[in-house]
Amino acid sequence: MYKTAEFAPERPGRLLEGTELVRELSLAFGPSGSERAVTDLIAGQLYGTAERLSRDRAGNLFALYPSAAKNAPTVMICAHTDEVGFMIDDISSDGFLRFRSLGGMDPRVLCGRHVVFMGAGGPVRGVIGAKPVHLQSADERQKATKENDMYVDIGAASAEDAGRCVAVGDSGTFVSDFVLFGEGGGLMKCKALDDRLGCAAMIETLRRLVRGRRRPKANLVFAFTSREEIGNSGAVMAANRFLPDYGIVLETTAIADLPDVPENSRVADVGRGGVISIADRGTIYDAEFTRGALALAAKKGIPAQVKRYVSGGNDSRNIQRSGTGARDLVISAATRYLHSASCVASVADYASIRELLFAILTEYDFKRKEASGAGSVR
Amino acid sequence: MYSLLKKIVCCPGVSGREGTAADVIEGVMAPVSDSVRRDAMGNLICLVGGNAPEGSRRRIMLCAHMDEIGFMVTFIEKDGRLRVATMGGINLCAAAYSRVLFPNGTEGVIVPDAGVKPADFAAEKFSVDIGAYTAEEAGARVKIGDTCALRQELRKLGAHQVAGRPLDDRIGCAVIADVARRLSLKRAADDVYFVFSVQEEVGLRGAGTAAYGIMPDLAIAVDVTGTGDVPGAVPMEVSLGKGAAVKLRDGSVICDPDLVSDLLAVAAENGIPAQREVLVRGGTDTQSIQLTGAGCTAGAVSVPSRYIHSGTETADLRDAAACSDLLFAYLTAERPGRA
Amino acid sequence: MNEPDLVDLIRELTSVMSVTGFTLRGTGRLYELIGDFFDEKSTDRMGNHLFVKRCGRENAPKILLDAHFDEIGMMVTSVKEGGFLTVTGIGGVDTRILQGSEVTVYGRSPDGEERRIYGVVGSTPPHLQKPGEADRNRDIKDLLIDTGLSADGLRRFAPPGTPVGFRPVFAELRNGIITGKGFDDKACGACIAAAVAGVRAEDLWGDVYFLFSNFEEDGASFGGAATGAFAIDPDVALAADVTFASSPDTKKRETCELGKGVTVTLSPMTDVRLSKLLMSLAAEKGIGVHPSVATRHTGTDAYVINKARAGIPTLDIGLPLRSMHTSAELASVSDCEALRDIVRLFITEPAFGKELENV
Repeated sequence: MYKTAEFAPERPGRLLEGTELVRELSLAFGPSGSERAVTDLIAGQLYGTAERLSRDRAGNLFALYPSAAKNAPTVMICAHTDEVGFMIDDISSDGFLRFRSLGGMDPRVLCGRHVVFMGAGGPVRGVIGAKPVHLQSADERQKATKENDMYVDIGAASAEDAGRCVAVGDSGTFVSDFVLFGEGGGLMKCKALDDRLGCAAMIETLRRLVRGRRRPKANLVFAFTSREEIGNSGAVMAANRFLPDYGIVLETTAIADLPDVPENSRVADVGRGGVISIADRGTIYDAEFTRGALALAAKKGIPAQVKRYVSGGNDSRNIQRSGTGARDLVISAATRYLHSASCVASVADYASIRELLFAILTEYDFKRKEASGAGSVR
Repeated sequence: MYSLLKKIVCCPGVSGREGTAADVIEGVMAPVSDSVRRDAMGNLICLVGGNAPEGSRRRIMLCAHMDEIGFMVTFIEKDGRLRVATMGGINLCAAAYSRVLFPNGTEGVIVPDAGVKPADFAAEKFSVDIGAYTAEEAGARVKIGDTCALRQELRKLGAHQVAGRPLDDRIGCAVIADVARRLSLKRAADDVYFVFSVQEEVGLRGAGTAAYGIMPDLAIAVDVTGTGDVPGAVPMEVSLGKGAAVKLRDGSVICDPDLVSDLLAVAAENGIPAQREVLVRGGTDTQSIQLTGAGCTAGAVSVPSRYIHSGTETADLRDAAACSDLLFAYLTAERPGRA
Repeated sequence: MNEPDLVDLIRELTSVMSVTGFTLRGTGRLYELIGDFFDEKSTDRMGNHLFVKRCGRENAPKILLDAHFDEIGMMVTSVKEGGFLTVTGIGGVDTRILQGSEVTVYGRSPDGEERRIYGVVGSTPPHLQKPGEADRNRDIKDLLIDTGLSADGLRRFAPPGTPVGFRPVFAELRNGIITGKGFDDKACGACIAAAVAGVRAEDLWGDVYFLFSNFEEDGASFGGAATGAFAIDPDVALAADVTFASSPDTKKRETCELGKGVTVTLSPMTDVRLSKLLMSLAAEKGIGVHPSVATRHTGTDAYVINKARAGIPTLDIGLPLRSMHTSAELASVSDCEALRDIVRLFITEPAFGKELENV
């Protein structure tokens, strides 16, 4: 089993909040399996909040906020630190990098994107090349280019030249900046909002709990987990380590709130608050916990919406089915163009999600599995 | 068996919403069990303790899933029509234009959008018409997240067969409930845990957490299996009416060969009709139980059934009785299975 | 400790009965072949075999070495008049190779009497085929195994559920290439056993647990390794399995070359620092090693071992193999030796234990 090591976070230049925090987290380099820069950033942002953090070799970072009560239930709050990206699997003799995607991506969003790979000596910029449109056959113009036929051009002269800065097995991700746009700057665009938005919400919520000296009724495990995008997720390991009674996953969810899409297929809408799923492809969520969260949102006037389509999946599947099972809830930010260099989400939704998480952690009546009615022994 | 089966079949329990079925089954199990509990996922777990000395009793798990395939409401259209997602492997050709029932009694009809040909059937092209004219009217009767299913019912078909749904896997639930009743009168040496699992139809999700809480030494799943006695079937030596099917493999598991031998030997010794089941496709909870923790000796006893996942599944009550006889005989045999 | 001849061990081990789900039928012969190389041996409820060699120190780290013992085969689905059997595949059987192949039906009567039955997978002679029939592969359910026995006798020994394996065959070809069946993954198992056999206990940096697992090819997928890793709860794991070697009908980018050594998987599922350390130390020793990339699933036991319990640092090593999942798999003896040597390096080089201390 992975050992965990405790460490004290280093003092960062500045503690960031709101969209500034989302910005810095989203810009950090962290394709699946290479999350260290992200977890280091998170650890720093928890300076003064969590005195001791722990991490494992699988890339997970944990911040514990235990309850003062004895036999309190354990609630694991989870967001993943990794983002979709690429891994070099071959370097051609003329110095082009061939890659496989880390996480599921539509190949149509890849052509022409700027990317960066982390070589042994540091970052290496490149672009995903494309055959000029002039040279494409009529058939090629219609057809999407397959990932297998794509390549990254780093300007290398030869395989030997490329080998000086990158190697097979190195990972990369999109180059993308953080932009606030739309009415009143209410929308944000960046790569990796999936799921740095969730990470940011966890950081700010934990700070608020600690600063307000709100000792929780449940033992809270804030788990920043690795490798969600590739399936073999760090959340599996985190759940097996802590065997929580409850799991709350903070995520982004792919939506299509666009013109021409019938309302029943839009999934959710940007700007209408955190999205709570009843079911997705991986999980049927705990009905009582889900209802409770929605009721709490209504009571507090926090915007929240129910996901209108069964699609996607997230780490809830792993947490729900760990150990003897956990009651689970997912709160997602409705995000357009997920798994591309330009994800778009709402600043207001980010605030709603933070508020709802805080309300749940401070007000929801968490019970231990065996103490809840369902677990009683006659 | 018929009246027990009818009681257990005729209640709702679409995957993820098994509460009502669990209540009904708990009502049957509570009088014969030493303890009854539900875990965080909703699995119903009942213990009938063994009579061997403490410490020498093994933990044996019998498991049947209580969830059924069905539909979950995902959206309510302005005209009161409900959009749904499928829960489990539904044959939409078999479901089209059938009546569906919600647990609160709301009735409806599941229909494809006009003009959609059977080859293009998909859940997003189906809706449920509950006779409402507006979203408000529909919303007053049904909420997003509610589930419905083709009507639960059971009829006799000929002398020995039953027809209805969901036989998959309430007939397995009835079998293990019957075994529990018999074991409460004549105890096994070992502790026997009866698990009525959730969410089998959406990917064998429930049985694993139940197994984790029990950590059984040996587990037998009881579920329905297909037969080779219908026109066009792939080669399979399992027929309706020829007894309990002892599983060798299905699409998700290869059963413990020694457990298979022991079960067949017990059947032969006791004159219980049994057949060897090799199912090429399909999965059962056997897999998720076998994989729990450090693994356990796992197998399955199946009730042969025809037309599984359609609106009318059929089975032979004598086969269900043979399954109960076999499990009871195995569990009360001198030394069941490997130590 | 006398180190076994690697080619002999591969030949013998690949002929042991180990069809997925029926791995304990081969225990006796397996113990004869490699049991003496270890201090302890056991089997478990999942049909896994576990061999342990102790380093002799208290509280030593646990090093898990994994290869899967199970191999693909078939299972009887029905017995037909005339002594024919219909079957279904166990594991991803390449149906192209079935017609005309020779098989062993591992029969067993209800009272436990074992009988190995020879059989041939029948084919329709070209003279009797309809035009175009030869252009399509036949589905496995439409094939018949001809045993030449009476249906009654056959029913007694080979009822539905009886495992069927490919008839053992082994040959040495030119340039140190060997061919046979069951190289996936017993050739790797042989290399691991040989690696451990040649090492003195005091040279190990931890206790070595060799999990020769079940259910990699079929059944509860990768279930033997997952449950075995849970039970052992090691500090580190190395899984060895076969990988695709290039041939005229494969793409260069999807394969590696035969005879150039073993592959080390670089992926988010495997421990990057340990993998790179292994590659550099192997290269220093002159062991042929090259990287291979996986971004979704390693396709091997490494994937499930990595996520057992709260996770296990895992390495994934590949032995290049041509014609995988046939009874004519090909491997290079020099690659097998490289695999043996790299496993030995892994269990004797204390740098790996030290690297594990860095979290």
